[in-house]
Amino acid sequence: MGVLITPSMIGQVVISGLLAGSLYAMVALGLGLIFGVMRVLNVAHGPLLMMGAYTTFWLFQWIGFNPYLSLLVSMPLLFLVGVALQRFLVRRVVDAPELSSLLLTFGVSIALVNLAQLAFTSDLRAVEYLTGSFVVGPFALSKPRLATCGFAIAITLGAFVFLRSTRLGKAIRAVSQSREVAQVCGIDVQRIHLITFGLGSALAAAGGSLVAVMVAIQPEMGQVYTFKSFLVIVLGGAGNYPGALLGGLLLGLVEQLASLFLTSQVNEAVAYVLLVVVLLIRPTGLLKGRV
Amino acid sequence: MTMTSWKRLAPVALAGVVFASVPLPAAAQTPIKIGASMSVTGTYAKPGTYQKQGYDVCIDELNAKGGLLGRKVELVIYDDQSTPATAVRLYEKLITEDKVDAVMGPYSSAVSEAVANVTEKYKKVMVAPLAATTSIFKKGRKYIFMVITPAENYLDGLIDMAAKRGLKTVAIINEDTLFPKASASGTAEAAKKKGMQVVLQEAYPKGNTDFSALLVKIKAANPDVIAAGTYFDDAVAITRQMKELNVNPKMFGLTVGGDLPEFYDLLKQNAEYVYGSTQWDESLPYPGQKEFLAAYKAKFKGQEPSYHTAAGYAGCLIYAEAVKKAGTLDADKVRDQLLKMEIRTAFGDYKIEPDGFQIAHKMVMLQWQDGKRIVVWPDDLSNGKPRYPTPEWSKR
Repeated sequence: MGVLITPSMIGQVVISGLLAGSLYAMVALGLGLIFGVMRVLNVAHGPLLMMGAYTTFWLFQWIGFNPYLSLLVSMPLLFLVGVALQRFLVRRVVDAPELSSLLLTFGVSIALVNLAQLAFTSDLRAVEYLTGSFVVGPFALSKPRLATCGFAIAITLGAFVFLRSTRLGKAIRAVSQSREVAQVCGIDVQRIHLITFGLGSALAAAGGSLVAVMVAIQPEMGQVYTFKSFLVIVLGGAGNYPGALLGGLLLGLVEQLASLFLTSQVNEAVAYVLLVVVLLIRPTGLLKGRV
Repeated sequence: MTMTSWKRLAPVALAGVVFASVPLPAAAQTPIKIGASMSVTGTYAKPGTYQKQGYDVCIDELNAKGGLLGRKVELVIYDDQSTPATAVRLYEKLITEDKVDAVMGPYSSAVSEAVANVTEKYKKVMVAPLAATTSIFKKGRKYIFMVITPAENYLDGLIDMAAKRGLKTVAIINEDTLFPKASASGTAEAAKKKGMQVVLQEAYPKGNTDFSALLVKIKAANPDVIAAGTYFDDAVAITRQMKELNVNPKMFGLTVGGDLPEFYDLLKQNAEYVYGSTQWDESLPYPGQKEFLAAYKAKFKGQEPSYHTAAGYAGCLIYAEAVKKAGTLDADKVRDQLLKMEIRTAFGDYKIEPDGFQIAHKMVMLQWQDGKRIVVWPDDLSNGKPRYPTPEWSKR
């Protein structure tokens, strides 16, 4: 009953994997940024993504706002939510053992999901904006996934440029490398923490706005992205930002290829087996060290 | 005590005397509490909420007709978040702490299977209106009763229509949970019986959102028919990705999801031509249908019931009918009635085998045509013809 796998099928699946992977990379970059700078694992990352998706949905629903332009709303909005979370909650656990930050953000995550259930109900929502695909030779390039990939790459590159070249970005990297030295050099660490959490949340929100066009939106949609993001930053090397890009693309590819050659049921298992293998061979992730 | 306060109290006192001397009317007795857990949130929130509405309409109707055994009926419902483990805990709580007089089934086969162990343990009759998996009823359980057509038969209509049109190949995919698995294996069997070839059969995990690789394989196998054992969000995702990957079967049918009004709301014109199977449609000429629809629309304004609603409603009525016939809430006596009863409700026929397995109820196949659900199978219940074959995505 098996299907003969042809090169064009592999090509199609590689395309799908890369399209999915670019989104994973962007979302994971947000998580990695927060972890790199503060050593806080933000379990609420997925629910923040979910809030980004709802922002896009409601703007589309109420005033027919272009879902891609809604990035301009969801990212600043969730930036502010992130800043507020940092200012009032996360700040208290930055120097505490990592378990405290896990527990805290886990609580935030449950609160966000349940608030969304109360406010938006658990009805599935969808933004029916872009459907179908471009057919190029034997390959079908999904329009919404292509657009998502384009925006994700642009935003990820933007974030890299920001971290590499701007004064603020350099300050963020300085804090992530050594908080004490950064402080001695006159960097306001608290402010950098606020901005970092804001940026991380904005990247999650961008992910939400972009998946809103592809999948059904519901309060629990985010969790799966929390797990995928963990996987990606560990694969890529925690605290290493280009590593997130590599890890994201790799995860996208592995998931799709596993579904093709084995079955869809095992794709997650394969991704986690890959994680274990990488950790055994290179405990610091594929690209080690920090930027 | 002054005269005025006496005047005020007199009717109350009088009422007390009267109540003490005659059999208590419905209102004064403690109500019959019927407990259930429902998937109000989580993956099964949509169908779960529909089912709950069915219970609500039934309870209202019972109370309007004077309750059950002369007592008012009250529903105690908790949210199981679509998880079997939570539901098990809730049924324990309903039975041991809330001390409900009766229970009704939760949503989905997976959750019903889990809680059946609890209800059996406490010997509580459970009419399980949305448990569609055969195996639940084949484990020697005594107190669980089936209302809907089993999972295995969900896509019989699709296969029958396909075979009649001379189609030869089918690809079957399903979510890897109890109900979709059973419907996939039933569909495969039905296809083989009709001489069709199953060219691909594969399951995907619950919560899967990216079906690219699976659909690429299906596209390569190029089946005439794609049959999918789905719930709802997967049904939406698969349909969308079929368009994205330009997968063009001659017929595409879904178990759950394709029949819900939301399927069209979410997918708009992309839902056209898709076949959904359903246990019930409001156009079907069953007794009590008009009354049910009127009561539903009065209570839930602006909403449309789904088959889950009708099944929930009918399941609750069937239980009530058995209690009336038994004249008691005693589990064994109610069970005897449920076993020998034959009844036709707004949901269709009810008749079970001694193990609680449903044998009388019938499925219908729908197709989305111009935004409407048209019953296209079986012929004697249909109100339209199928639009066949499904055109390619580029030509819709």
